[in-house]
Amino acid sequence: MFDISHGPDGTIVFSGRLDAAQCAKAEAFIDAAGPAQAFDFGGLEYISSAGLGVLLRRHKRLVASGARLRLINVNSHIYDIFRFSGFDQVFDVQRAGS
Amino acid sequence: MSDRSVPSASGSAAQEPLREQRDFARSFDSLEQIFAVVRRMLDARGVGEADAYAIAMAIEELFTNMVKYNAQGLGRIGLEIVCGDKDVTCSLVDPDSERFDINAMPDANVHLPVEQRRPGGLGIHLIRRMVDSIDYDYAGRRSRITFRKTLNRAWAEPAGATGGGSDKNQSE
Repeated sequence: MFDISHGPDGTIVFSGRLDAAQCAKAEAFIDAAGPAQAFDFGGLEYISSAGLGVLLRRHKRLVASGARLRLINVNSHIYDIFRFSGFDQVFDVQRAGS
Repeated sequence: MSDRSVPSASGSAAQEPLREQRDFARSFDSLEQIFAVVRRMLDARGVGEADAYAIAMAIEELFTNMVKYNAQGLGRIGLEIVCGDKDVTCSLVDPDSERFDINAMPDANVHLPVEQRRPGGLGIHLIRRMVDSIDYDYAGRRSRITFRKTLNRAWAEPAGATGGGSDKNQSE
């Protein structure tokens, strides 16, 4: 189960599991959402490399306009995925509880 | 999804390994069914969150590679899981494929500047850090990829990593 919605202050809120089957849904929502720079991962349980691709494509578009993707409330497993992929150095990542 | 599952030994005092053998349509849409099967099995054995994440992710990355890079392959993709007390072994079987040894693939370069980063290759890079071994076997157009994950062992640190990001295994 994956869901994506608008949150407060222009954030985009992710929940559930962002696997390869859900990337089209996520990407379509993000593209339609405008220039949101912050994704709230507080409810996101799982992301695979396909989901990382969605984030990378968004980040590249933001960088072109001088901004940077910010990920907040990231759980420890997903944070490890970012570390292993080097994306903790690419995105602005804030862990859950920090 | 065709069901050729072997009855589990859940509740057995001897803790016989739990076994599942199923096959799935060659489609990303199969992931939901795959995750349900895997989750049910791992829950039955009380496997922790970190291990369950690693196993689900390894299965997804291997399965989706078979779908993406061999969309014209014939037949369904097999999944076999054996969940023991100390480790989980999973095999994904493509009955109609060219030879493609994923162990011959180099790791992704995770230090490239963002404009040069591509998601491709990250999946294998990641699962190498999450499981203990990955074996590839090819015979008669049949590819079998088998990985083994020791339970209750933290994911491997990437080379050059600093700081402890992992909460290790929550089942510990």
